[in-house]
Amino acid sequence: MNDVPPSQDEPDDVDDRYRRASALDPSRPSESVRRAVLSYAAQQAAQRAAKRVPTKLAADRRAANRAWWPPAIFGTLAAAALAGLLLTPVFLSPRAPRMTASPLARPSPPNAAAPPLSAAPAIDRSRDVSAETSSADTLSAPAARTTAAGAAPAAGAPRSETAAKPRALAGNATPQTINNFSPSNEVRLAGAAATEAPAAQAAAPRPRAAFIPRAAPMLQAGRPVDPAAALRRAAESGDVPGLQTLLDDAVDIEARDSSGRTALMLATLRGQTQAVDALLAHGADPNAADAQGTTPLQVALAGDQRAIAAALRRAGAR
Amino acid sequence: MTDEGKSDEALMGRYARGDVAAFESLYRRHEMRIWRYLERNVGNRATADELMQEVWFAVARDASRYAPSARFTTWLFTIAHNRMIDSIRTSRPQMSLETLGYEAPSVVEPLTSDPNSGPLAAAVARDQAKALIQAIEQLSAEQREAFLLQVEGDLSVEEIAAITHSSFETTKSRLRYARTKLREQLKEYA
Repeated sequence: MNDVPPSQDEPDDVDDRYRRASALDPSRPSESVRRAVLSYAAQQAAQRAAKRVPTKLAADRRAANRAWWPPAIFGTLAAAALAGLLLTPVFLSPRAPRMTASPLARPSPPNAAAPPLSAAPAIDRSRDVSAETSSADTLSAPAARTTAAGAAPAAGAPRSETAAKPRALAGNATPQTINNFSPSNEVRLAGAAATEAPAAQAAAPRPRAAFIPRAAPMLQAGRPVDPAAALRRAAESGDVPGLQTLLDDAVDIEARDSSGRTALMLATLRGQTQAVDALLAHGADPNAADAQGTTPLQVALAGDQRAIAAALRRAGAR
Repeated sequence: MTDEGKSDEALMGRYARGDVAAFESLYRRHEMRIWRYLERNVGNRATADELMQEVWFAVARDASRYAPSARFTTWLFTIAHNRMIDSIRTSRPQMSLETLGYEAPSVVEPLTSDPNSGPLAAAVARDQAKALIQAIEQLSAEQREAFLLQVEGDLSVEEIAAITHSSFETTKSRLRYARTKLREQLKEYA
């Protein structure tokens, strides 16, 4: 390169000459350009005023967050309180009667010959074990007690005629009804199991195992791990390997955060070109607007992310 | 209330909050500087028009992104520089700043038809304008841009270096070379 500075600086009058000559230059941008620019500026201002659009930019994002945090916090607290109400009985009491109070959880009573069992309300059982044993008068007392204690029935429990009826009930219990376990049929199942020593040990933990899947979704809901949130975080941070893993696990690619932003939108906001490419390759919707109607393409253009804008356009962004 | 005394940064802040008149003031204030920077760099009026529109669209669109800690003119000319480079590299890959030539001498013809200029004044203006065009044309692309950024944008060497992704010393050298060449070309019109 020949950018070697001259040996000395001469008096600097060139700028003045240039400016004098430029002042005589009548060359102007087209009037159509001026009109287009001013019209566009007015349009942008109107959009900002109407939609509070300036979301992508730091100061405005803070404003947007201020608008969103109250419902987000209250929603989270409400969800936590609800989860606590639902889950506390599970941990405090092995019977967890409320978990099985729904109609779906109740075993259908196909056998009308067992009215004393089906008539016993589950909630009463949870409150009073002695009532349970007295109302379930067709059960042998040892079997009922061991069930109420949540322990496996003792091996070698005496066979009796009274145990035959509960066994018939257990025979009627389909896998579905076992899965829809409730304390009311727990007593019956345990009573039936008590008639047979080898089966007793297998049957005793089964109701407990049947409890867990019903509580599991709530437990999962209370856990901080959310695959969709992890996907958004990976997209936002440009963690392409992590993103790829989550995408391969079929995590919902269009899941949105509290501001309605998809993983693609977050990757665009952060200028994560590779993450954008990976998301688009997995079929992310390039036109998925956030809660304020801003599209990823608008964000890319506003941020002068030309590579991302080009990728979005190739994917059909408008 | 006039915007004459308002700083660029204050006007941008007002526009970001929805004051369209503030944008118009900014546009009027910087329209010709950006126009000359673009038109004299690309040497093509139509392209300069196109770039001019893109630059100001970006200003309008990104108004709320503008950080008042940076000078508005620095931000504005950075946008102009980036748009110009993008235009040359992507839309017209066969062209380069180095090979771009000046087309119709848009400066000269309107001067000669100016009814307010007498024949002598018109002739002098025409000669000066022609000399100016020729002098700028003979600069290298890098020297031309550095010079135009300084005289049109009032940017410092540091700012020009940052915009053009060059070192301070290289930028300083380009400016010195540009002025030396222009001085020689415009000597007879002093």
